[in-house]
Amino acid sequence: MTVTALSDPVLGELRQILGDEHVLTGKADRLNRARVPAPFPVHRWAERLPDLVVMPGSTEEVAEVLKLANRLRVPVVPRDGGTGLTDGAVPLRGGILVDVKRLNHIKDLDLDNRTCTVGTGINALKLNERLAVHDLIYPDDPASYPCSLVGGRIGTSGWSLIGSRYGHTRDLVLSFDHVLPSGQVIHVGDGIGRKITKSSSGYQLKHLFMGHQGTLGIATEATLKLFPKPEAEFSPFWAFSDYADAYRCVGLLARAGVATFAGAVLFDEWKVAYLRRDDEAYIPQPSSVKALVCAALYGYADEVEAGGRRLMRIARDAGARYLGDEISQGDWAARHDRYATPLHGRTKSGQVAPMSWHCEDASINYTNLPSVRLAWHEIADRLRRESDVFDDWGMFAYTNGATGADYLTEIDIGIWEQRLDDRTWAAWVRAKRDLAAVALAHGGSISACHGSCREGEVDLVPQELGGGFEVMLQIKRALDPHNIMNPGKYLLDQAYGAPS
Amino acid sequence: MKYRRSEEMSPPPAVPVTDVAITRFEHVYEVAPELMTEHVLQQEFPNWDTLRLVHSRADHLAWMHRHFAHTVVSGEELLHELDG
Ligand SMILES: Cc1cc2nc3c(=O)[nH]c(=O)nc-3n(C[C@H](O)[C@H](O)[C@H](O)COP(=O)(O)OP(=O)(O)OC[C@H]3O[C@@H](n4cnc5c(N)ncnc54)[C@H](O)[C@@H]3O)c2cc1C
Repeated sequence: MTVTALSDPVLGELRQILGDEHVLTGKADRLNRARVPAPFPVHRWAERLPDLVVMPGSTEEVAEVLKLANRLRVPVVPRDGGTGLTDGAVPLRGGILVDVKRLNHIKDLDLDNRTCTVGTGINALKLNERLAVHDLIYPDDPASYPCSLVGGRIGTSGWSLIGSRYGHTRDLVLSFDHVLPSGQVIHVGDGIGRKITKSSSGYQLKHLFMGHQGTLGIATEATLKLFPKPEAEFSPFWAFSDYADAYRCVGLLARAGVATFAGAVLFDEWKVAYLRRDDEAYIPQPSSVKALVCAALYGYADEVEAGGRRLMRIARDAGARYLGDEISQGDWAARHDRYATPLHGRTKSGQVAPMSWHCEDASINYTNLPSVRLAWHEIADRLRRESDVFDDWGMFAYTNGATGADYLTEIDIGIWEQRLDDRTWAAWVRAKRDLAAVALAHGGSISACHGSCREGEVDLVPQELGGGFEVMLQIKRALDPHNIMNPGKYLLDQAYGAPS
Repeated sequence: MKYRRSEEMSPPPAVPVTDVAITRFEHVYEVAPELMTEHVLQQEFPNWDTLRLVHSRADHLAWMHRHFAHTVVSGEELLHELDG
């Protein structure tokens, strides 16, 4: 579909609904919303252009846009910060891109019930600057903290660095207004309550309308849980001379049951080798440093100090060497904002090359981390042998919860996006499928945070969900009979007769 | 304060730190220049700008700490207590 195909009557009606200035048809407006940070061949970027962009200012306007799109069968793609890493916010079929960034107001701050209600175009960093005046915090803290927004967090059902203490997006969002593909507005939460944390009334619809990557509608206004802003933070980093010791230590820390424990991270040998090239904290480390572990604690100072003392003792007894306050504090602070990471890799000859970042993000049980690590590096090694376009940047494993059952397991791969041609892209898609297959073969989930609708991984979603995938198709067909919401994602075209 | 372009454009001599990194200012590391000759070329930077970048990075990290919590607990002190 081209802009001209959408010109009349769609353009005219949209201008009536939103006002001229909030319907954008310029090339730059569309190009700026044609991609996300996940690497994709530059020569194909034009395939993902929306026909036009709208910036609604209220739930009612979003509803009117969806009614129109539903009536005229025009594809609609919701977009917030555009930082998603599974291509959720890029249009595969053109159409209307609904950018929700104007919905960025704080509507209600309820100090007694400790909640706030915001438009889904707001960013947690900006929100927290306002909440700090009341000594409160909304602790949804992805590594994209400065630039991802509440609606995208809902659309992906995101994962938070400090989720082991405060929960992840699904736990922190109490309820929200949601516009269905038909344009009907519903409110979903636990039961109907706006500020209710627990209800057993009816189906639990909140989870259904989170993590759908914009395929089931658009969240416009959300009520969020708030916490006291932590008095103290503690983020020790420790070095180990081998991976096995570091692995054992991270398990002990995560299972220790310390109340202020917000997360622990394990860095493998490949990650340490990568950091030794480019990271000021690790360049000077002795070559005996082969693996790292860190932990983060938040809360009142007396609690954090007591918990910190316990974790320091556990780590020391497990053979850890504390890296000192400067590295520990600096490195943790940098984790909230990985956009600031230098994006370059090395060719096989060691030359610096500009590279974008791919982050695989499976959920894997603790006991399976070592074997997933080996299988994933074998895949990364295969890619690197195939082409200088790929570089293995190593692995992290972050706790998903306070009991240490499973970890967001991440392999970072540098990809020289400007040099991705059709052959290397095909090699990449194959590798993506293989990485996802390893996660499933180990009883894990393909994605802990981003979602799993990129080329390659998406092929295995029916296998991961089993009979649940058929239910997903039925729900999609029932709620979006004309397949207008983000068509082409998650193999959902199968709900309308496309071959599986 | 004086500013002399020739001085600003002459960085202190490089000291190798590892086989892929060098240093010219304390705690500031650079990729070894021979690794930036084909696809990404090293740029000339005035000394003040190098230091400004490093300091503003430090400011950013300090801001992050303040943003998430009022104080930061020292691991060195906790370890000292444990070992004591
Ligand atoms: C450097 C970096 C670090 C990252 N670290 C993390 C991390 O630690 N944890 C994590 O979870 N993710 C992480 N991500 C991925 C990304 O930031 C998250 O997926 C985030 O939730 C996306 O938010 P966004 O506002 O950018 O959404 P977008 O990218 O705009 O959208 C994401 C998806 O949600 C849909 N959507 C957008 N708005 C709405 C809405 N209002 N209603 C319904 N659907 C909507 C879109 O269609 C799309 O499918 C990282 C990304 C980067 C670049």
